[in-house]
Amino acid sequence: MFDWLWNLLSYLGLYYKNAKILFLGLDNAGKTTLMHVLKDDRLAQHVPTQHATSEEVILGNVRFRAFDLGGHEVARQIWRNYYTNVDAIVYIVDANDRERFPESKAELDRLLADEQLSDVPFLILGNKIDIPYAASEEELRTALGLHHLTTGKAGAPRGMNARGAKDVRPLEIFMCSVVRRMGYAEGFRWLASYL
Amino acid sequence: MSIDFAQLEEVDGTRWTWLFWPTTKAAASQCVLPFACLFTPLRPLPNMPPPLPYPPVTSREGTVLNPYCSVDINARMWVCPFTFQRNQLPPQYASIPDNQLPSELIPEYTVVEYRLNRPPAPPPAFLFVLDTTVPEKQFTVVKEYLLKALSLLPPGTTVGLITYGQHLQVHEIGFTEGFRSYILRGNKSYDAASLQPLLGLGGASAAAGAGASAAAKQRADATAAGAHSKLAPPDRFLQPIQECEYMMATLLEGLQRDAWPVPADERPKRCTGAALAAAAALLECTYRGYGAHICLLQGGPCTEGPGTIVGPKLDEELRSHIDIEKDNAPHLKKALKHYDEVATRLVNAGHALSVFGCSLDQVGFYEMKACVDRTGGVFVMAESFEHDMFKRSFEKFFECDENGHLKRHFLATLEVDCSREFKIAGVIGPSASLEKKGPSVSTDTEIGIGGTCAWRIGSISPDTSLSVFFDVVNQQSNGIPENHYRYIQFRTTYQHSSGEFRMRVATHAGRWCDGNDLVTLAAGFDQEAAAVTMARLAAFRTENEEAFDILRWLDRLLIRLCARFGDYQKERPETFRLGPSMSFYPQFMYHLRRSALLQTFNTSPDESAFFRSHLCRVSTADGMLMIQPSLIQYSLESAPTPVLLDVASVRPDVVLFLDAFFYIVIFYGDTVAQWRKAGYHLQPNYRNLAELLEIPRRDAAACIAARFPYPRWVESDQYGSQARFLLAKLNPSATHTSGNVDVLSGSAAAEFIYTDDVSMEIFLEHLRRATVATT
Ligand SMILES: Nc1nc2c(ncn2[C@@H]2O[C@H](COP(=O)(O)OP(=O)(O)OP(=O)(O)O)[C@@H](O)[C@H]2O)c(=O)[nH]1
Ligand SMILES: [Mg+2]
Repeated sequence: MFDWLWNLLSYLGLYYKNAKILFLGLDNAGKTTLMHVLKDDRLAQHVPTQHATSEEVILGNVRFRAFDLGGHEVARQIWRNYYTNVDAIVYIVDANDRERFPESKAELDRLLADEQLSDVPFLILGNKIDIPYAASEEELRTALGLHHLTTGKAGAPRGMNARGAKDVRPLEIFMCSVVRRMGYAEGFRWLASYL
Repeated sequence: MSIDFAQLEEVDGTRWTWLFWPTTKAAASQCVLPFACLFTPLRPLPNMPPPLPYPPVTSREGTVLNPYCSVDINARMWVCPFTFQRNQLPPQYASIPDNQLPSELIPEYTVVEYRLNRPPAPPPAFLFVLDTTVPEKQFTVVKEYLLKALSLLPPGTTVGLITYGQHLQVHEIGFTEGFRSYILRGNKSYDAASLQPLLGLGGASAAAGAGASAAAKQRADATAAGAHSKLAPPDRFLQPIQECEYMMATLLEGLQRDAWPVPADERPKRCTGAALAAAAALLECTYRGYGAHICLLQGGPCTEGPGTIVGPKLDEELRSHIDIEKDNAPHLKKALKHYDEVATRLVNAGHALSVFGCSLDQVGFYEMKACVDRTGGVFVMAESFEHDMFKRSFEKFFECDENGHLKRHFLATLEVDCSREFKIAGVIGPSASLEKKGPSVSTDTEIGIGGTCAWRIGSISPDTSLSVFFDVVNQQSNGIPENHYRYIQFRTTYQHSSGEFRMRVATHAGRWCDGNDLVTLAAGFDQEAAAVTMARLAAFRTENEEAFDILRWLDRLLIRLCARFGDYQKERPETFRLGPSMSFYPQFMYHLRRSALLQTFNTSPDESAFFRSHLCRVSTADGMLMIQPSLIQYSLESAPTPVLLDVASVRPDVVLFLDAFFYIVIFYGDTVAQWRKAGYHLQPNYRNLAELLEIPRRDAAACIAARFPYPRWVESDQYGSQARFLLAKLNPSATHTSGNVDVLSGSAAAEFIYTDDVSMEIFLEHLRRATVATT
């Protein structure tokens, strides 16, 4: 019975969705570290990303096609090449690097203002909260100027997805620690509800 | 007493995984790692005599007279140590007094170079193929550097220009009035026969290239005579720099970017594949059999016509490793086939392709690898034409020696012959098979490019190196007497950049040893050569095998090597010891396994192709830097000193210099970085601090002065974003899970790394346990 239902669901494309998501954020935010944890459940130290790479990751019942793009200043020029058909943006911020909050905010603002991304859900991950003096969610929300933009952590109401409520772009901030493997799963669950 | 292998390399340009070889096939297979030579054919050797002004004395089989031959001057005979055939010496050797041996017979001169008795080649050709869709600012720079190349090349060098965007344009540079160019469609491929009528290169039906290379020959004669013949048709496209420099300058100045509008959701249309095919065809028509080099200057991937890497629409992404693994890269097979065909044509004509790919994203190195690797060309990768990694590499590419000749030579053929007790299994390096059979060729083992004893290297520089693999075939029953030697001869015939044809002959005599004499075998083990050889083998295997299987294979061989040559008691890991000549090898394997040479996560297919292409052509020393970078520590207290490639070497009060070949890092420990921020180094009483900041940069600059391609230069403070370039290479002996790390306080506790990777200690511990457990 359930098998039948599942098959039907997957036939309708509701079960395994092939979603294209982009990992964006400044260099050293933790994009590649997160990508590796999601893909192989392994923590490793990587060199700064030069060329964009992509991996297939399955989270909950969504199969993601995740693109990890380099975050250093020059590399940001090519982010826009990846905007077409994107289903979601995961924007990662190093919550312990207060010096760069303004830079991170500027990049995020640019993304939020981009026509092509106007109705794309944004999951903002405040990473590295394992470090004792990392910013709190509230501090980060303020620093990124998101007070009036976040849409709540409940996720999309059952039976309705992002396209159902077109006028508001889903955007929420979740604090996490990739190295402790905590926090981001909630974020992805929230994100999946809109896909 | 340990052997200085680097010193031996100075003698004849060879480094051997094993210096002493067991006498039988059975014993050889017990040595686990292959019998291979890292050979640098044109390496400058301190003891080589100046080029001999006469041609070599050659046997019927093609082997060349050398100090290991037995020679009977009176009878005018010599016996070749490979074939044991008696050969006649030419008449002029009859009159040579005993005490005035010709250079090639003097025992110290195991490597000599001959000037061949052939008319000089026409000046070499460089055909530039320029992408006109690169962004405006970069376009200005790349044009400027093209002009710079003309000033760096010897004035007699012939050059030509093809530009491409959606279409391709072959430019005439042989006329002084007005510019003409031929616009060709970018959606089809070209060969010599189809290009000839389009460019008016003589009768279309003429056998491709036959007439044209006559033209080149004619020009060679004319050049040799110091005269210049009237323009033959191909000369409209290829001209000596001294004749066309002004034209080229004017042409480039007026050259516009591709005029086709690019919609916001598309990539520019680039017909790179067609442009390369046309470039190859133009050279086939004009320079077949003579040195010529295509330089592709590319700002993005091919999106149009043959060789397409990715479609023009941006909603189609560039293939990544996962797409290739899952057979989910729709253009891949066709593109590989196209570039393979171009490669074959380049090889047959004797030409080379080098690719300067400057873009933030991939440009298709992965697909074009055959064209570069099989022709002896090189890849240069940079994020922009404005970046030093392009500019400096491009300049270096055209470097000349003190006589004003290019350091990069042309159209080399490497031939190898050897004693009958072993055979040649193949070559890994920037070359292509010439499919020459012979008694030295192994018929049952093929490693790399095998089944031949001759290889074409379309472009060769003094540091081009190849791995040659051998297979000991001697059976148990054929005893090899003590004090018997094995002989190998490497003959490299090439077109010197001066136009002279030369042959470098290196004859190597190596010792045999008893296969049970593990002490001697181990003493002759060159662990660096072995690590680089295994890295090349592994890289070669990535073309057809899963990375996971390759790592397992490397592990298995390592364990078997340790089991064979280590000292231990069964089931007692703590008793395990490896002799000094092997003791570093496991650690090299540890770093190799982790390196981007084999790991593909966070690496694009283009990056992998780039790293592996260079791995297979650099010297042993440079290959070692790729596997296990060098790390040097600078501090106020002590002189610069090499330190372990380990996170424990990261200290707040030091400056570190990491050389990873493709990039270097200058890393400032936290305290040093604070001092610098406070500006102490600018005060006169802190001169020593100023020096601590300055010396590593100076050393690094000196270290990479000769490096090709020019590496990425990274400077970072401890805890800075770019410090990851260093951290990723370090052995994580302290991680976030190590007990002694004060993660919570976040205070300046000892540096550690967030990783689940096993540390070298654990890797070695596993190795010891696996070794002593083997049966
Ligand atoms: N303390 C802490 N460190 C983290 C965490 N996640 C990642 N890091 C570290 O922060 C750095 C992030 O590096 P990457 O993941 O390579 O950063 P990136 O965002 O991919 O950067 P670019 O590739 O340069 O754009 C690494 O040194 C990680 O070890 C975390 O949750 N806590
Ligand atoms: Mg990254």
